Amino acid sequence: MTRRNHRRAYAGAAGVLAGALALSACSGGTSPEGTTVEEGEPYTLTVWTNYTTGPGQNWFEEVAAQFEAEHENITVEAQHVQNEELDGKLQTALNSGDAPDVFLQRGGGKMKDMAAAGQLLDLTDTAVATPEMREKLGEASYEALSIDGQLLAAPQLIQPGGIWYSKDLFAEAGITELPETVEDLEDAIAKLQGAGITPIALGGKDAWPAAHWYYFFALRECSAETLEATNESLDFSDECYERAAQDVTDLAALEPFNEGFLTTSAQQGASSSAGLLANHKAAMELMGAWQPGVVMNLTPDQEPLDDLGWFPFPQVSSGEGDAAAIMGGQGGFSCSAAAPKELCGEFLALMNSEEHQEGFYEAFGTIPLHDDAKDVVTNEYDEQMLDALAEASYVSDFLDTNYGQQVGTALNQAVVELLTGGTDPAGFVSAVSDAAARS
Amino acid sequence: MSTPEHVNLDVPAGRTATGDGARQAPSPAPGTNRRRPLPWRRWLEILLLAGPGTAVFVTFVILPVLMAGYYGFFRWSGYGPPTEFVGLRNYQLILTDTAFLEALWHNGFILVMSLVLQGPVAIAIALLLNRRMRGRSLIRVLIFVPYVLSEVIVAIGFSLMLHSAGAVNDVLDRAGLGGLRQDWLADPDVAIWSLMLILVWKYIGFAVILMLAGLQGVPDELREAAAIDGASYWKTQWYITLPLLGPTIRIWAFLSIIGSLQVFDLVYVIWGQYVADTAGTSTMATYMVANGRISGAYGYGSAVAVVIFLISLVVALVYQRYLLRRDTEGALTGGAA
Repeated sequence: MTRRNHRRAYAGAAGVLAGALALSACSGGTSPEGTTVEEGEPYTLTVWTNYTTGPGQNWFEEVAAQFEAEHENITVEAQHVQNEELDGKLQTALNSGDAPDVFLQRGGGKMKDMAAAGQLLDLTDTAVATPEMREKLGEASYEALSIDGQLLAAPQLIQPGGIWYSKDLFAEAGITELPETVEDLEDAIAKLQGAGITPIALGGKDAWPAAHWYYFFALRECSAETLEATNESLDFSDECYERAAQDVTDLAALEPFNEGFLTTSAQQGASSSAGLLANHKAAMELMGAWQPGVVMNLTPDQEPLDDLGWFPFPQVSSGEGDAAAIMGGQGGFSCSAAAPKELCGEFLALMNSEEHQEGFYEAFGTIPLHDDAKDVVTNEYDEQMLDALAEASYVSDFLDTNYGQQVGTALNQAVVELLTGGTDPAGFVSAVSDAAARS
Repeated sequence: MSTPEHVNLDVPAGRTATGDGARQAPSPAPGTNRRRPLPWRRWLEILLLAGPGTAVFVTFVILPVLMAGYYGFFRWSGYGPPTEFVGLRNYQLILTDTAFLEALWHNGFILVMSLVLQGPVAIAIALLLNRRMRGRSLIRVLIFVPYVLSEVIVAIGFSLMLHSAGAVNDVLDRAGLGGLRQDWLADPDVAIWSLMLILVWKYIGFAVILMLAGLQGVPDELREAAAIDGASYWKTQWYITLPLLGPTIRIWAFLSIIGSLQVFDLVYVIWGQYVADTAGTSTMATYMVANGRISGAYGYGSAVAVVIFLISLVVALVYQRYLLRRDTEGALTGGAA
C-alpha cells in the first residue's frame, strides 16, 4: 500500500482533530466544533504533509508564505513526513490529542474511522467549501470526502488509473489501435507475446497493483449503483463481483505478466514492475496517475520516458458498468478536532486556489483539480485524463480505500491468490465476504 | 519473550565453559570486611542500580504486553480509544483461521528443520575448526559473517538472486541446467525450502561459534587419556566431546527454537506485506502484522500478539523445566547423548 499512497498522497486533504477524542468517541459521531483564533492573535498552524521531495516542499513554502503574509501573527509550521511513516505517526498523534491542525487525508475507510472517533472537523461552512470553490474543484470531489453531509476533508487532487504503455513496443508488435475492449486487449497481448515482448508488468509483491486489475474489472462489470451500495454494505453477493474475478482469472490464463510477478515489487528499482516499463522490458502497466513520475525515476538516465502513453481501462462485453466510469485515488487535507476551524478552512482554500493548483501540477505532475488551473496541462496523457474525467459518468476511489483497511487488505490478498490459481472466482468472493463479516 | 537469564552468552569466543556451573562468573565478593550496610542504604543501592533498568523494562516490555492483552478483547481500528468489547471473539477467529494455522505450521517446520539441519552441520564444522589447520581463522570469520549481516540486507540480496528472473536461474541456464530452474520464492512447494536455506546460511555461523566456545571447555586431559587408552578420533568425539558439549547444544537449541517461533524480518522483506501467505512462507509474526497493523485491526493484531507470546512462553518454560534444568543446576556431564 506504500508507494501508491505516496503518490496518492499528493492529494492531501486537510483534516482536523484534536483533543476531544475521548469525549467525542463516546458521543457517537457528533462533530467537534474546533476552536477560534481572534484576528491578530498569535497562532501557529501546524501542518503535516508527505511532501518529502524538493519541488513539493518549495510549493508548500510558497503557500505558507502567502498565508502568513495575509494573516497577521499567524505562523505556518509544516512537518513533511515520509509517506510510509505518516499514517502511523498521525494515528498516534490523533489518539493522544496532540494532532497537527491540518494533515493529509487519504479518505475512504480510514477517514471514516477518524470521523467516528470524533477526530475531524466538519469543514462544510468554511472558506474551502464555498459554492464557488465547490464549482471549481468539482462537486464529485467534495462528495468523495463527505460523510453524512459533513465535509471532512478539502479535496486537493484526483489521480485516475488506467493503462500506461510504451508506444515503441506497441509499434514493434504491430498494434495500431489502442484497446477499447477486453477482446482488443487480448489481441494486443497476443501480438506482444508473438513479438517476444512481455505484455504486462505487474508488481504482485505489493498486492495492490495486482488488485487494481480486479478493481477495474469490477468497475466495468458492476453498475455504479452496485458499487456505491457495496461501499456501505460490504455485500459482495451481486454476481458482477464474481464475474470480475472470472475476468482476472481469464486474463491470468493468457500469462501476460512478467516472470515472477508474485515477488516483483511495484516501484523499487529497475526490476520492479514500473522499472520494467521504464526500461522497455514490458509493454503495459495498470497504474494511477502518479506513474510518469515513478517511471521517470527508473529510466536509465532518470529522464521522463518519451514514448509513454495512456489509455482508459477497456470495457468488458458483459459489463453493467459504464465504459466512461473512472477509478482513481482521491485525497485532500483534513483539520483536526481542536484546530481553529475558520483559519483552517482559509488555509485549505488558499492551497486549492487556481494559482497554487497550477503550481501543484508543476511540482508534482499530477493533473489539477481546479477548473481554471487546467490550462497549464500540456502533455498528451494528462490531457487524455482530464478529458476522461470530464466525460466520466462515475468516479470511484480505489476499492481497497473505499472498503477500509481490513476488507481492503483481504481483498488485495485474495486477488493475488486468484492470480496464482490459489483460489477460484467463487472462493474469491467468499474470502472477501468472510473478511467483510469479520470487520 | 525469551528468558534473558539464559541469554548471557556473550561468551568471548570460547572462554567461559558453557554449562560448567562451577565456572560461571563468580558472584561479586560479598562485602566481606565492611560493616553490614544499613538496610535503608541497601534499598537505596538497589533502587539506584536496578531502578532505571526496571522502569524501562516495565514501561516498554511489561506494560505493552498487558496493554496487548487488554486491546485483544476489542474490535478496534486504532482511531480513538477502543470501545467495542468483543470478549474472546478475536481469539476464536485466530484459532479457526486457516491462514493462522498455516503460519503456525510454517513456524513449526522452521523450528524442526533448523534443529535438524543446523545442529549436526554446526557441530561438524566446529569440530573441524577446533583442529589446528591453515586458514582456520579465516574460515571462522567467513562462517560467522552471514550472522553479522543485517537481516534486511540478506533478504534483499537473496530476493534479487532467487527471483525467477534472477541470478540463480540465470546461472542454471548458462550452466546447461535449465531443467533445474525454479520459481524459488513464489512456488509454495519450493519457497519454504528457500527460506529454510537462507535461515541456515544466516544462522549457522552463530551455532558454530557457540559450539566452538563449548569445545574450549572440554579439557584436553580427557582427550589425552582417551588417546592413551587407544580410542580413535571418532570414538573420542562421540564418547567424550559430544557428551561434554551437551549443555552448549541445549542452550543453542533453546535459542534456535525461540528464534524459529519469532521469524519475521527475512520473510517480511523477501515476500513483502502480502504474498507470504500465497507463497507458503507466512509465519505467526507476519500474520500478526498483515492482519493487525496493515489491516488496521489493532484489537485483532493484539490478540495475535498475545497468542504468539503464550506459545513462546509455554515452549520456553517447558524447555527450561525439562531440558535446561540440569545445566542451570550446574551438572557438568549431566548425561547428555
